[in-house]
Amino acid sequence: MRSWITGYGIALFLLLATMAGCKKDSQDPATTKATPYLIRIPKYFPTELNIPPDNPMTVEGVELGRYLFYDGRLSGRNGPDSLMSCSTCHVQAHSFVCGIGNPRFPGGHPHGLTGILTPHFMLPMINLVWVNNGYLWNGSLSPANPLKAKRRLEDMCWMAIVAPHEIAGDTSRSRALIQGIEGYPGLFEKAFGSNTVTVKNMGRAIAQFVRTLISSNSKFDRFLEGKDQLSEKERKGYVLFMTETGGDCFHCHGGEGNPLFTTNLFYNNGLDSVFADPNDRYGFTGNHKDVGVYVAPTLRNVAFTAPYMHDGRFKSLEEVIDFYSSGVVWSPSISTLMHHVSTRGVQLTPSQKSDLKDFILTLTDSSFVTNTEFSRPPRLPGEK
Amino acid sequence: MKTSGNMRIQLSSLCVFIAVVCLTAGLPALQSCTKSGITEEGTSKPTTLIIRFENMVDTLPLVLDTMKYKNLADDYYKVTDLQYFVSNVTLHRDDGIVYRALNNDGIHYVDARIPSTLYWTINASVPPGTFDSISFTFGLNAEMNYSYRFLNPPERDMNWPEILGGGYHYIKMNLSWRKSGMNRAYPFNFHLGIGQIYKGNIINPDSIEGYVQNFFNVNLPASAFSISQGQVRLLVLTMNINSWFNGENEFDFAKYQNMMMQNQNAMHNACLNGKNAFAVRFTSGGK
Repeated sequence: MRSWITGYGIALFLLLATMAGCKKDSQDPATTKATPYLIRIPKYFPTELNIPPDNPMTVEGVELGRYLFYDGRLSGRNGPDSLMSCSTCHVQAHSFVCGIGNPRFPGGHPHGLTGILTPHFMLPMINLVWVNNGYLWNGSLSPANPLKAKRRLEDMCWMAIVAPHEIAGDTSRSRALIQGIEGYPGLFEKAFGSNTVTVKNMGRAIAQFVRTLISSNSKFDRFLEGKDQLSEKERKGYVLFMTETGGDCFHCHGGEGNPLFTTNLFYNNGLDSVFADPNDRYGFTGNHKDVGVYVAPTLRNVAFTAPYMHDGRFKSLEEVIDFYSSGVVWSPSISTLMHHVSTRGVQLTPSQKSDLKDFILTLTDSSFVTNTEFSRPPRLPGEK
Repeated sequence: MKTSGNMRIQLSSLCVFIAVVCLTAGLPALQSCTKSGITEEGTSKPTTLIIRFENMVDTLPLVLDTMKYKNLADDYYKVTDLQYFVSNVTLHRDDGIVYRALNNDGIHYVDARIPSTLYWTINASVPPGTFDSISFTFGLNAEMNYSYRFLNPPERDMNWPEILGGGYHYIKMNLSWRKSGMNRAYPFNFHLGIGQIYKGNIINPDSIEGYVQNFFNVNLPASAFSISQGQVRLLVLTMNINSWFNGENEFDFAKYQNMMMQNQNAMHNACLNGKNAFAVRFTSGGK
């Protein structure tokens, strides 16, 4: 009976959506004065973007989001030692992870203002506008989350403010502090039609900025467009990357047919035989097939994003390649794409490992980590 | 209580069917949505054929992630992912006239984890009448199968490496299997697409001498049916997964070292079996 009701519900929704299409103007009145921000979709990239209808991209929204992303007063505190913003951990030079050499976060493992370590190491903030299966290592920030307030990129703002392992603050204090800084109310007015600062609009603005963080200018991108050539070692590595009898990387990490270099899907890649992380995908879904399962991160700019894996166990690309070559271990939930597990891995020779690494480094996009549009603005609101 | 990440898309097939039918009924509303807002009158109801893709293991509906199936080689197996393309669905009339489904460029993607892909509505232009048989292409033919055709997931993730022939997997069936008495199940990637011919039969991508189109056409037996003006007919296209393993070329998972994308012999044998994996039935009123 319930499924019938659900079925009719879907049908009703679809019909209503169809009829709604007849309306002349479905724009959010609050955003009609803002300037649309157009995302240029790179060649071969997906054409479908994950931009929620209630938070369209605007030039003003992105500008505001960039300020907030870099403003330590997002923490709701003014003291020099108590400032924390997204950029405290999400460092552009490291493709927006904190980086293994970061003096503030030894080993590349970030912690919050109170010193509590984050449950996982960081995922790079690259091309998130194309993520449609959920954010975070376990994908829990998704429409499937039973908690309505933890479903979208927009929700990361309040979550970071209150998380004990991040800002460890409270949203009221952060909102009030931002409201009181000269310049911010006007920026909110331009972006969202109201000079009243809300946590919701803070989250919307930051999400807009994060959606602009697009990387598509690596050597491999230029190779695909016929503008650059791979060296012989890189070409050999490319073949290894794309073949089952080679490194067999492409099924999870994409390739020429998926230039995001991730499917954004979730896998147990054979790191362990027993699992105790309460924040793996099983911790979200409760499905035993998801034990030890995490998202496949993009391989773009991996040169800048060490250490690797959800627990940062590998400090270098060489260690990662060694693992996939001969360190894979079986467990009941191992991904069926890890079919080389019967031989502990893909069994690459030293020269093949070197070739594969050389290819992976062609995914380096230095312009992304130096793009001034993604950098800290020269001056934040209220700064002298 | 934990909630499945796929809960939102794991609606029952019945729900999806109802939604598809109701959406079909709602199409006139879409078509009548004019700039002036005036509804056009006098349009007749479209004749509609809905194909439902039913994945079976012999007589049992496929249940993903369940180690309960067995093939003739005495291997137990479970399927974790099942994705494939069907294209060029063609209805044949006894007077020689054929009708080819052109929705989505004549290509449909099926994903056992995405209920909405288990239905393909061929609406609005099916001519009423009696048809002798139905045929289709399993996978994509050479003309259709070119790289960068699909830029968005989930179809995008069926891409087949350029070095191996390019285009897309015809089928991606990931499973794990074990022999009786074995306590561990090992993965097998049953992936079909363009095959390669290697110089000296040594599998080295740098020695590929040519490519083989492995798509095949299926003429469905006992597929005659009739459809009248304005009628909505449901055709159930069944694929028996065990037929891929149990046909004239018995498929032993151990023989192929858990993969087959670069093993043309394995893909060829699988295709010979696969041609007999399909059947059709009509839920009501079939001829």
